[in-house]
Amino acid sequence: MNALKIASKDLQIFFRDRGAILTLFVLPLVFVAVFSGVLMSIGVDEDEAITLAVVNLDVGETAQILLEGIDNAGGVLVELYTEDEAMSLLDEKEIPRVLVIPDDFTAGMDSHHQVTLQLINHPDADMQQTEAVQLVVDGVAQDMALESQIIASLELMGEMQANAPEEFQVFNTERNISQAQSQFESAQDQSLVSVDQRIPGQTEKRKDDLREHSAVPGIAVLFVFMTAQTAAHMVFDEKKVGVFRRLLAAPISKLDILIGKMIPNMIIGLIQIAVIFAFGVFGMKLLGLTPMSLGNDPLALVLVAILIALCSSCLGVLIAAIARTENQIGGLSTLVLWVLAILGGCIIPLFYLENFLGPIPKLIPHYWANLAFSDITVRGLGIGDIMLEMGALLLFSAIFFAIGLWRFDFD
Amino acid sequence: MTPILEVDNLVKKYGDFEAVKRVSFSVEEGEIFGLLGPNGAGKTQTISMLTGVIEPTSGTARIGGHNIHDELGEIKQINGLVPQDLALYPTLSARSNLNFFGSIYGLHGKELKERVDDVLHIVAMTERADDVVDKYSGGMKRRVNIAAGLVHQPRLLFLDEPTVGVDPQSRNHIFESVQRLNRERDMSIVYTSHYMEEVELLCSRVAIIDEGKIIAMDTIKNLIATLGGGVIHIGLMEADEELLAQLSSLPAVKEARLTQAPVLPPPAEGEDIEARETEPVTTGVVVELTTENSQQAIVNVIGCLNDQDIHLTSLEILEPNLESVFLHMTGKKLRE
Repeated sequence: MNALKIASKDLQIFFRDRGAILTLFVLPLVFVAVFSGVLMSIGVDEDEAITLAVVNLDVGETAQILLEGIDNAGGVLVELYTEDEAMSLLDEKEIPRVLVIPDDFTAGMDSHHQVTLQLINHPDADMQQTEAVQLVVDGVAQDMALESQIIASLELMGEMQANAPEEFQVFNTERNISQAQSQFESAQDQSLVSVDQRIPGQTEKRKDDLREHSAVPGIAVLFVFMTAQTAAHMVFDEKKVGVFRRLLAAPISKLDILIGKMIPNMIIGLIQIAVIFAFGVFGMKLLGLTPMSLGNDPLALVLVAILIALCSSCLGVLIAAIARTENQIGGLSTLVLWVLAILGGCIIPLFYLENFLGPIPKLIPHYWANLAFSDITVRGLGIGDIMLEMGALLLFSAIFFAIGLWRFDFD
Repeated sequence: MTPILEVDNLVKKYGDFEAVKRVSFSVEEGEIFGLLGPNGAGKTQTISMLTGVIEPTSGTARIGGHNIHDELGEIKQINGLVPQDLALYPTLSARSNLNFFGSIYGLHGKELKERVDDVLHIVAMTERADDVVDKYSGGMKRRVNIAAGLVHQPRLLFLDEPTVGVDPQSRNHIFESVQRLNRERDMSIVYTSHYMEEVELLCSRVAIIDEGKIIAMDTIKNLIATLGGGVIHIGLMEADEELLAQLSSLPAVKEARLTQAPVLPPPAEGEDIEARETEPVTTGVVVELTTENSQQAIVNVIGCLNDQDIHLTSLEILEPNLESVFLHMTGKKLRE
């Protein structure tokens, strides 16, 4: 209860500070607008077709239909290579990506079993082009899968009808339409064809390739973690003017004081995310930029936002605990937070960073925050799919808070 | 009277440094007790331990019958602390500050409002209560700082150097407030200061603290009485045991002893004394004479030295007050 009183007072103080409001709420919107504009300007030229190298290991007719479909969809031109030839060219960066059609593609489609196409990208491949290719291949493949499933369903009904003429009345028009609809929904949910993206030498499926289509989550993460510095400053200022001594002399626990200091930071962080995301959806449209998607799971979005705000607050406690001078909070921690933000993928997409930083970004909370937001907003994943990211954020929060509590100089 | 505060061998160490060394004293219910000492003597550290801001390294204390180790929650309700710093939120008004500090002591609603109005009245800040603290003068901030320590009606108030950086008018106002709180509300007060005038004016008993130790504790009258008829410091180029014995045996002189205080050698002809004072040299000695009557003793001492052709390099007659007591006991001035 006392923590809430401290939090309420701190919020009152914060909202009187116009400079802090400007820095934490307005500046991120400027960043979002600028970065989104930059990303759009380096995007794909819509009038220029993308050449797609294809290795067709399947000799069947369905693979040919797929290739014709991709060609006819517009925007992507198919060029056939042998597997060795394509991989060699990919290694030498002569071609940016290769689509591999497996040898069981036709058989799988004919027997209505799921098959996977491989889209192998060079690490330096243009991400927006990769996404465009993926969208085209996905679209054509899913159309084919749907067609195949509906045909299969009608064939099945035909067989049943032939085998049971006395039941003829069962297969009326309504039943046929219903069956077709059901098959369509099934094809949407469980497509027979999936496209798996990877880069050479990587066996696991990459999850990060689509994230950089929106600058909004990265900027949101950057600025929410910047509030850690604001929280640390508020603690430092209170210690400097002696209010902290007064609080310690009052019937209020040290834990209450720290939690009371963290709550405003969390609230400010959540408001920041709401403002930045609202701008990402509505403001971007007004500016003529591509609006961001909020994904399919609002609960996951809220949970991740809370965890990021919590992690930032705990980081604030840690900074307040280890910083000894105002300069360390104002200058040094700003530098550290910006470096962490850059290494954590807030500004430069993780796809690029990971290529030369390896696993280092995974040691930074910003990375997991960005990953979680991207999984939800770009890839449309839900809570069940981002447990690792949420767990990592929770772990970082616990570590920051524990070290902060341990090192905090209440004297 | 029963003591509201009993301190027993309180120690605070930071590594090897002992900031507070086995401090013991007690404060009676309704008393204003002074802790007098120079900056860095350990006054704030002592108060901080008694108010729960820091933990003592060893020793204990009882406040209102509660032990500081086991019953800090009860003690914090009894205590009020006015820190030396202006412990206020500068961007909030005095009323908002007091509302907040009252609320963390469990006050709310009508009771909180009444208490806030009351303490604003006590420190005469009612008219400016809704102004932002940042816009107040130093004295007004000090008054609100005191009000924040009073809002929950403590039985024992710790005032830590409450007049630092305050104009004379506000200082007088603070003195009046302290005396009224003690007189009209029977509040016990521990008042720390390095201004002996304040302690002499307000406190019935005083503990003199230096380098973490209490070096004297009594009523002001008794402490001053230890100086007898006054103390004289005379500067000489040298003084041996024989000379000290001669001086001690002079009429009106109770005791003569050497101190370590630095002195200036006799001035050379045409030398600028004022300029030299900024860089005192440590040659020579200072003899401290405790007297039964300082006026009579000085005549006898000068006569004795003239007879032996010994030149005085300095002469200082200390008034019988707490400053002199401190100097007599430590060889240092309170504000050094």
